[in-house]
Amino acid sequence: MSSPADRSIVVENLTRCYGDLRAVDSVDLQIDSGRIFGFLGPNGAGKTTLVKVLTTILAPTTGRALVGGHDVVSEGHEVRSLIGVALQDVGLDSLMTASELLQLQARLFGYTPEAARGRTRLLLKRVGLDDVPAKKRVGAYSGGMKRRLDLALALVHEPAILFLDEPTTGLDPVSRVEIWTEVRRLNRDLGVTIFLTTQYLEEADRLADEVAIISRGHIVAQGSPMELKREVGQEVITLVFAEEEEARQAEGALGHLDGARQLVGRELLVYSARAAELVPSLVRRLDAHGLALEGLSLAQPSLDDVFLRATGERMEDGDDSHLAEKVGP
Amino acid sequence: MTEALLLIRRSLLVALRQPAAIIPNIGISVFFLFVYNAGLGAVENLPGFEGSYLAFILPVAILSAAVGGAGVAGQELVRDLESGYFSKLLLTPARRLSIVWGPMVAAAILLVGQVVLILVLGLIIGLDSATGVPGLLLVVVFAFLWGMAFAGYAAFAALRFKNAAAAQAATLAFFPLLFLSSTFVPLEFLDGWLKVAATLNPTTYVFEGMRAVLMTGWDWRDVGLGLLVVVGTATLTGALAVREAVRSTRLAR
Repeated sequence: MSSPADRSIVVENLTRCYGDLRAVDSVDLQIDSGRIFGFLGPNGAGKTTLVKVLTTILAPTTGRALVGGHDVVSEGHEVRSLIGVALQDVGLDSLMTASELLQLQARLFGYTPEAARGRTRLLLKRVGLDDVPAKKRVGAYSGGMKRRLDLALALVHEPAILFLDEPTTGLDPVSRVEIWTEVRRLNRDLGVTIFLTTQYLEEADRLADEVAIISRGHIVAQGSPMELKREVGQEVITLVFAEEEEARQAEGALGHLDGARQLVGRELLVYSARAAELVPSLVRRLDAHGLALEGLSLAQPSLDDVFLRATGERMEDGDDSHLAEKVGP
Repeated sequence: MTEALLLIRRSLLVALRQPAAIIPNIGISVFFLFVYNAGLGAVENLPGFEGSYLAFILPVAILSAAVGGAGVAGQELVRDLESGYFSKLLLTPARRLSIVWGPMVAAAILLVGQVVLILVLGLIIGLDSATGVPGLLLVVVFAFLWGMAFAGYAAFAALRFKNAAAAQAATLAFFPLLFLSSTFVPLEFLDGWLKVAATLNPTTYVFEGMRAVLMTGWDWRDVGLGLLVVVGTATLTGALAVREAVRSTRLAR
């Protein structure tokens, strides 16, 4: 039996299959109360499946999960009363207004009509939809407005644990920052545990206290963003060539020069604690072997590098230009 | 109970915001009433036929409205499944029964309005109910329950196929149910395979129950059998729809 303050999430050896496909494979997680947990991975990695299991929409194939101390299989009702969920596919009835949706949601969670109206007013203001004409149906809302309304619906019953499945995918930068601000406020002011899935590296980096990276159903790295990046090494030199073959030749050409190497398509990555000092000798060595560079960059390691080190592939990020460049095999 | 009322009210609200889904159904039922009555009214002159053909054919118009109107429940569930709002409702403490039956009851309530309209039109063109107003009310009850039964089937199809076209195609079961029965002439006038089909078709017993109160009087055998069929079918299809909701979403609990 959990205490009322239990806002933790525990996942033990959990697997969820769709036929022969193991969408989530032997996953273990421990998320303490009041944390923002970033669950990072490319499309199809298993993020949404795990969220659906944790929110009682799907049953696990094997293993178990506790949300707020309650088993998601045997105590689904208790779990649902504790959690708020905004799924990746915004689930709104386009023929209803925002107020109608929020009031219905509040009433289904047991609020009186008067309390439901009060909660609706408060949440519309909080997500910045209070100036939208009351009779405007959701079908006429923009994508950003729908996301904000979906978040408001997830917050109606003041949940202790909030699941946000790719809450900012497809949003413009302004709407994205507004969602981030609200997520931080909920966590800081109300102590809400937040389980946030994202394919945006920057989002996980900025918001999460702790991050787990999932690839093909497996957790491949876990820790605070800082710890994970520290594990990669202090700096990354990215050498870009015109052809994959040239990158392969360059790997051989560098010989015993300092730094760990990783070949990703037509890129050669060199991880080193003294990367800046290493650049001139790298360039000279490549020049001596007649290998022309198309580009060279030197950067602090990002979560993309963490992902790359763990999986050998780049995240299919698809984000704005300020995030990691989309490259790789 | 409150949650059920809330979900029924929401379904009614949404259905009324799509009049295009309701109005054609009323039009078809009224068309059936006038065309069949005018075209086949001479059946009442056949030896062995007792009563007015208008009272005989009126249940056909009503049940066609019932099955057509009940299809709204399936369409609404498909809309909710496609928009993801169904998942949102599943994540509330509301019972699965209320979530699935909300659109079904709402469709049946809308149907009552349509049936009352058809009855009023029937009265205007000369319907004379053998059991008066109570009989007419019982006809409305029959329509409501048969509407629930078909709404359960439509909801089951929607939850099983999860797309509007397939759910719509499943409602074509309406045709054999409505027409392989004592639709245009009494059961005793039928012969061969059609008589066998009509005897096996539950719609026949619903027709018989409605026709009893409209044409003969309080014949409790026909009325009781009709009520048994509509209640039984509504319970069965409603239970199938709820089971499908739980099965298809593989709910943990």
